Amino acid sequence: MATLNWRTINIDALDPDSPANFDLSSLSPAVQPVSTADVQSLAGQIRQLLRGGDSEGALQGALENPPYGGDEKGKEVHLATVIEILQSIRQADMSPILSRIYSAPGGTEALDVLMKYIYKGMAQSNVSAASTTRNITPQATGFSQIHSRGGGEGGGQAMSVLLSWHEKLVEIAGPGSIVRVMADRRTV
Amino acid sequence: MAPPEVNHLFHHPIADHSFSADRQTLAVARDNNVDIFQRAGSKFQLKDELTGHDKTVTGVDIAPISGKIVTCSQDRNAYVWEPSPQGWKPTLVLLRINRAATCVRWAPSETKFAVGSGARLVPVCYFEEEDNWWVSKHIKKPIRSTITSVAWHPNSVLLAAGSTDGHARVLSAFVKGVDARPEPSAWGERLPFNTVCGEFLNNTAGWIHSVAFSPSGNALAFAAHDSTLTVVYPSAPEQPPRAVVSISTQVLPFMSLLWSSESEIIAAGYNCEAYRLQGSEEGWQLAGSLESKGRPGIQDQREESALNMFRQMDLKGKVTDDTKLKTVHQNTINTIRVYEESGGNVTKISSTGVDGRAVIWSL
Repeated sequence: MATLNWRTINIDALDPDSPANFDLSSLSPAVQPVSTADVQSLAGQIRQLLRGGDSEGALQGALENPPYGGDEKGKEVHLATVIEILQSIRQADMSPILSRIYSAPGGTEALDVLMKYIYKGMAQSNVSAASTTRNITPQATGFSQIHSRGGGEGGGQAMSVLLSWHEKLVEIAGPGSIVRVMADRRTV
Repeated sequence: MAPPEVNHLFHHPIADHSFSADRQTLAVARDNNVDIFQRAGSKFQLKDELTGHDKTVTGVDIAPISGKIVTCSQDRNAYVWEPSPQGWKPTLVLLRINRAATCVRWAPSETKFAVGSGARLVPVCYFEEEDNWWVSKHIKKPIRSTITSVAWHPNSVLLAAGSTDGHARVLSAFVKGVDARPEPSAWGERLPFNTVCGEFLNNTAGWIHSVAFSPSGNALAFAAHDSTLTVVYPSAPEQPPRAVVSISTQVLPFMSLLWSSESEIIAAGYNCEAYRLQGSEEGWQLAGSLESKGRPGIQDQREESALNMFRQMDLKGKVTDDTKLKTVHQNTINTIRVYEESGGNVTKISSTGVDGRAVIWSL
């Protein structure tokens, strides 16, 4: 009894009014759990559309089914799919495609999802070059700057695509879309 | 449409403002004090200062009939100010909260008021004649985070509260002995204190900036930080609502909203201008801004002579002066309020914002 260190007792756990005892799940919108396999099969279907030349249909399909309930792996797979679609669409086609999606029912929602993926893509330092760069670097030296600079070329390419999408998207969906990405608790 | 009446009161942000019923007195929250302005012709003149709070005042509301002013502040207290021949007489209201008070509103009956707070509860305060004291009763139950706004139902019993946990709630603030038994409505039939009549979350669960009941009380609108505005139409007690209409706007989030009629909402916020939204149960849409575009004034006043152009280029390195926004307000609008009504419809509204301006708009 004497050895009980009362300073280490977590008093928040004992106080029913404490914020530590909140059920946080009620604060976020309900999302359906999605398995990684489902995301992968969806990615397969979307690639097929993309190969068939229907990049607009592929984009729409990808934006209508964001894996909010997926795990990290599933989300990564879907991000790669979306980025691939974005890179396959020519700059001149961006605005017409976006305005068509916007005027379709549920269009603002789809564009908000696209905005989320653009920001997520930018957060990933080098999307397409990631796999190749890691092979070039002989070992993890801890010099992260050198590491990222090595992939700068490829990452810059992906980034410029994302930036021009971002520009076109803000023209159509407005700054409201950016605010929604920041406020949304459903992450991609 | 008459041009808006702009009053630049001072160079401080205005957290909240309220007009008296005769529209001659304007109370604005300025830092730790509340300034009382009196209309003098076309202008407002500083007449009095309500000092007592020792932290930023976050809410001020003038009761339309009794003329009492209630204020709340980050110092966790509220004051009720009564007009007397010697000036304003303050009465301290102990809210019993351990975080800042964020907003305050009189009930339409003026017998009680509700305060939003960071302590995850809503103190509902009413005057106890026997003890000559304002008593505060807490609505606690489902609230998970700071209350950012409160709004009363016309029956003075139901209270809407918007919170940073992303929920807009309809709660009962029925106080025995103060309120008469309310008529049953679509929100609920039996309404003891702290009954939860509705809890609404929008798609993204963004935190709520503002809530308001429609003039009839049969619909609730709330604006959230995800730039959406959601309108809820209840069907019957304990039933899911008849319709929930949410619109995602292209503009920055709204900080404040009011219903000008059953089918029109005015909302304003970070875009520094007020917008008109129209709709019904079937759907709502943004119908445009209250600003008249191409307003003569700021830009076109100066004659664009070649001499002037080169002078500007020499002085500033550019031809046009782009340090001013094209809107009347030069910063975020914090509060919009009803200024004048006729025949159940709002005809004029007032707005104040971070730029220290109080503007009166005719709709």
